[in-house]
Amino acid sequence: MATYQDQQDRQDDDSGSEASSVLHNGSVISTVPDRHGFLGGSQYTPEPKTTVPASVILRREQKWLSMLSTWEKFMTRHYKKVRERCRKGIPASVRPRAWLYLCGGQLVLQQRSDLFAQLATQNGDPRWIDDIRKDLHRQFPYHEMFVDQDGHGQQDLFTVLKAYSILNASVGYCQAQAPIAAFLLMHMPAEQAFWCLVSICDKYLAGYYSQGMETLQVDGDILFGLLKKVSPSVYKHLKKQKIEPILYMTEWFLCVFTRTLPWDTLLRVWDMFLCEGVKVVFKVALVLLKFSLSRPGVLKKCPSMYETLEVLRNPPHSIMEEEFVIHQIHRLNLTEEDFEYEHQRQLTKRRANQENVRRNQR
Amino acid sequence: MYVSEETTTMPEKLFKVIMIGDPTVGKTSFVQRYMLKTYKKDYKGTVGVDFALKILKWSDTQTVKLQLWDIAGQERFTWMTRVYYKDSHGCVIMFDLTNKNSFINTLKWKRDVDSKCSLPDGSPIPCMLLANKCDLPHRQVDQMEIEAFYKEHNFIGWTETSAKEDLMVEDSMRFLVDVMMRQETGNANLDSDSLRLTGPGPQPARGGCSC
Repeated sequence: MATYQDQQDRQDDDSGSEASSVLHNGSVISTVPDRHGFLGGSQYTPEPKTTVPASVILRREQKWLSMLSTWEKFMTRHYKKVRERCRKGIPASVRPRAWLYLCGGQLVLQQRSDLFAQLATQNGDPRWIDDIRKDLHRQFPYHEMFVDQDGHGQQDLFTVLKAYSILNASVGYCQAQAPIAAFLLMHMPAEQAFWCLVSICDKYLAGYYSQGMETLQVDGDILFGLLKKVSPSVYKHLKKQKIEPILYMTEWFLCVFTRTLPWDTLLRVWDMFLCEGVKVVFKVALVLLKFSLSRPGVLKKCPSMYETLEVLRNPPHSIMEEEFVIHQIHRLNLTEEDFEYEHQRQLTKRRANQENVRRNQR
Repeated sequence: MYVSEETTTMPEKLFKVIMIGDPTVGKTSFVQRYMLKTYKKDYKGTVGVDFALKILKWSDTQTVKLQLWDIAGQERFTWMTRVYYKDSHGCVIMFDLTNKNSFINTLKWKRDVDSKCSLPDGSPIPCMLLANKCDLPHRQVDQMEIEAFYKEHNFIGWTETSAKEDLMVEDSMRFLVDVMMRQETGNANLDSDSLRLTGPGPQPARGGCSC
């Protein structure tokens, strides 16, 4: 990994041009970060975004600032309005604050204002500390914040993950939490990132990261059930090849797409995820499943499980574009009741299975 | 997902090989080295499973398609292993020579594999033991110990490897494919000396890795 000094040297060498590319570890890496802080890797997007007009952004910023100033009241009385605004995309300038408020992190932060600092000074369980340390240098190594081995990014990441492993000792540390924490740290200071992480792990995705990961298993089955409604042909194909959901949905769900989607799409998905919850993760997954595999001719090119999984590991870029994903999520037409129905159905099925296993063991 | 092709026009044999072992012993780096001939320091920890496909020209008349399933090493992912192991033909269990615990845990991994999958005839799938990071100083595992261990627990062979320095990566995989090919053709005489892994420096020579 390049040290910060290397980066500096390269920038100095290249003072003549605005941005240039050099070969680094077999990959092209830029001397100037893109607008999200990436210097290279698959997330690097040098082209400026074709954006919403500045006047619209300004108007949205003002609306958000006004909402944030009376947050509790607004959220209880006008949730639908908040949801609509999250779906349109939160302006970048207010996004970090909005995320902290949306997930309830701000409230806990005020109530337990000294807890993070306290946890940060503790040693933690050596078992988790060891695992966390091994993962520090492998989260978004092409991001300017995490490029340096002993830089602030990696130090903060360590503190946040350690603090969580102490706060919720029954979960401890799961490897999938690191990309989430790193992603949050790109947007906010360590203490705020910590409370967002706590909220995500303990409320939004409760049970995902614990031993056994049973919630993830159930959600995999629910996803598959919903797929039957959304795209019967893809459902039939996966069923025929006996591809279990955990083979393709594990990283999507556990890392909330931070390792999958292009950055602009990811930010929009998170705007909605923190407002509406895990349903958004399901919907994005359904869009990826449907459009990766239902394009003409694709299923024919996937005669076995392996080819199918390969397609799902690398969905074509065109179907992960910001506008496409957002548009298709809304076109899915899944209702609250669909989710509830499928959830109950899978729980019942699971209980029956467990009962059968128990009976056979007797 | 990587695809590296040597040839595609001949009859094919398909093998699924699972790569397991504790976190950060180097499974993903090994796969990358084998597939792409590169080594990256900035790989990401595997969440769930990653896949890679390599097509080998095994002989003038035989092509081998090798699916490598690179599986997350953290303990809490082991509930998924039954799904990952399904229908596999061979297995690589890897540890880090500079981390004694990762060596001790290879036995847990071996038992996990043997309890959850077997070949169609009911016999255990061939498992190769790899001692990775042989380029590093400060080893915590002794070669004699590995030698005794691999025999006692029915591994098909072992060798030291370095994904970083590209030592014994290709050779060890060729060895495993060879064993799987023999098993396919019913010629699986596993205690034959010809199936012992030998390479430059590492096992069974005592001199240690040459780097």
